[in-house]
Amino acid sequence: MDIGGNPGTNPRIGPFEVFFPVEGSSPRLRHSGEPGFPGRLFVVEGIDGSGKSTQLSLLHKWLESKGYGVVFSQWNSSELVKDTTKLGKKKKMLTPATFSLIHATDFADRIERNILPLLKAGAVVLCDRYIYTAFARDVARGMDRHWVRDLYGFAAKPAVAFYFRVPLETAIGRLITGRDGFKFYEAGLDIGLSDDPTESFRLFQGRIVDEYEKMIPEFGLTVIDATLPVEVQQAQVRQIVQTHLDRARNLRVRP
Amino acid sequence: MRQTYGKMLPGMKLPDLAGKLLVLEGTDCAGRTTQINMLRPWLEQLGHAVLDTGMARSSLAGEGIRRAKEGNNLGRVTQSLFYATDFVDRLENEVIPALRAGFIVLTDRYIYSLMARAIVRGMDAAWIRGIYSAALIPDAVFYLRVDVEQLIPRVIFSRGFDYWESGMDVFPGQDMYASFRSYQAALLAEFDKLSVEFNFETLDASADAKIVFAQLQAKVQRVLEGDSRREYLRESHSFNREYLHKVFEYAAAATMRRSPDQAVAAPPREAAAAHHNWSASPMSSHASSQNGGGFLQRK
Repeated sequence: MDIGGNPGTNPRIGPFEVFFPVEGSSPRLRHSGEPGFPGRLFVVEGIDGSGKSTQLSLLHKWLESKGYGVVFSQWNSSELVKDTTKLGKKKKMLTPATFSLIHATDFADRIERNILPLLKAGAVVLCDRYIYTAFARDVARGMDRHWVRDLYGFAAKPAVAFYFRVPLETAIGRLITGRDGFKFYEAGLDIGLSDDPTESFRLFQGRIVDEYEKMIPEFGLTVIDATLPVEVQQAQVRQIVQTHLDRARNLRVRP
Repeated sequence: MRQTYGKMLPGMKLPDLAGKLLVLEGTDCAGRTTQINMLRPWLEQLGHAVLDTGMARSSLAGEGIRRAKEGNNLGRVTQSLFYATDFVDRLENEVIPALRAGFIVLTDRYIYSLMARAIVRGMDAAWIRGIYSAALIPDAVFYLRVDVEQLIPRVIFSRGFDYWESGMDVFPGQDMYASFRSYQAALLAEFDKLSVEFNFETLDASADAKIVFAQLQAKVQRVLEGDSRREYLRESHSFNREYLHKVFEYAAAATMRRSPDQAVAAPPREAAAAHHNWSASPMSSHASSQNGGGFLQRK
């Protein structure tokens, strides 16, 4: 008996009309124009060391200086859930399935409490990592591709999802000089690709890059060449964001 | 062979899950806990190793869920996913290892309660079912059914109305009594639908607990008779702790006598194999003493 994968009877997920369910058979987020709310959602994606957080922070400052009400939300930061995630990581209790679910729970809390209400209020919401991070990591850990996409069926589709594409070696080079060692789950040590953390990190991130590459056409990610100078990348990002700001409100939270 | 509802989790191996998975379902105050507290010693007396588990008891998410429910800010999607995390943690780290060791797993609620609660909270049925499609199909689901009218006195004279059991997050405009009625009625309607779809064995739980227990015993017995190890169980009369005890005692005595001709008659090969599978059995009393955690608990 298969209880999954029979969508169509009720395509609505959750009590919120702005939720965008994923079609079970074709795992794509539907709706790109969000007629229901005036806010705008921009997200950045990419492997560690791709420079996406730097770019998002520059975008944040620029939007604020233009008077938009900007809110930032980081992956894995829900107050309600993060103790559980921390416990699971510290004690190495997480399997690929529970790793996936606890991150989805974290994301759900941020969606329900922050992201959606703010988009409804007309804010510009910036997310450092979004559902695509989960798709890439969870599938790299062996979770079923469709299952993970369906799991995040309650997510709002961003106006633009930037993917900062960088060769794996460049990213690893930036990280190895920037810090000492990799964490257990970050390096994918839980799935036993290699006992050596650096080698495991390399293999695991390689899988993640493969998943990102597949998602570019699947979800229409906007690719930014992250080997270009920071200023050039930022100019490209701002130009693209500019075209999506028509309905966002100048909330002037910081005049 | 044991199956899931459609999806497999990474590393899931199903062929060697020899134990039995028995589910007790029902709304709040239907008497599930009372029945499990009677079923467990009875099954152990028959010589079965038993693990009991239930919602929000995982070492990963149990505490997090309890803390989240203390506040007033646990959203509906978040709640559904938090419980799913708890469920999968117990599935992977308690239920499956116990089944592999040949235990009878008694679970107080299963995916059906979790699905019913999520659906009543407005979640899309296909979405929540998709999440639980990696759950194992149980050997039996015993549904303790009680009408809302019969539930109310039970609630009033036990622990009183509770915020979440009254579905105050679903019907916030009502008082606790009205909310309880609406919420439990909605849950019952959902359970009744699920009971047909998933072949629940429905028991009228408004009867006296002892009568319900007698009915449950008969139903459980029927499930256990379908056990693939039954042939062996019959051969050895009762493969229970008493029997094991005798074997060990005899073996010990024989060794002490150092007399080769009085050594224990070698059990047949299947018996030896079965014995090996059941090696966790002597530990069941230890496991039970810790509310199902026991040796399955991670360090």
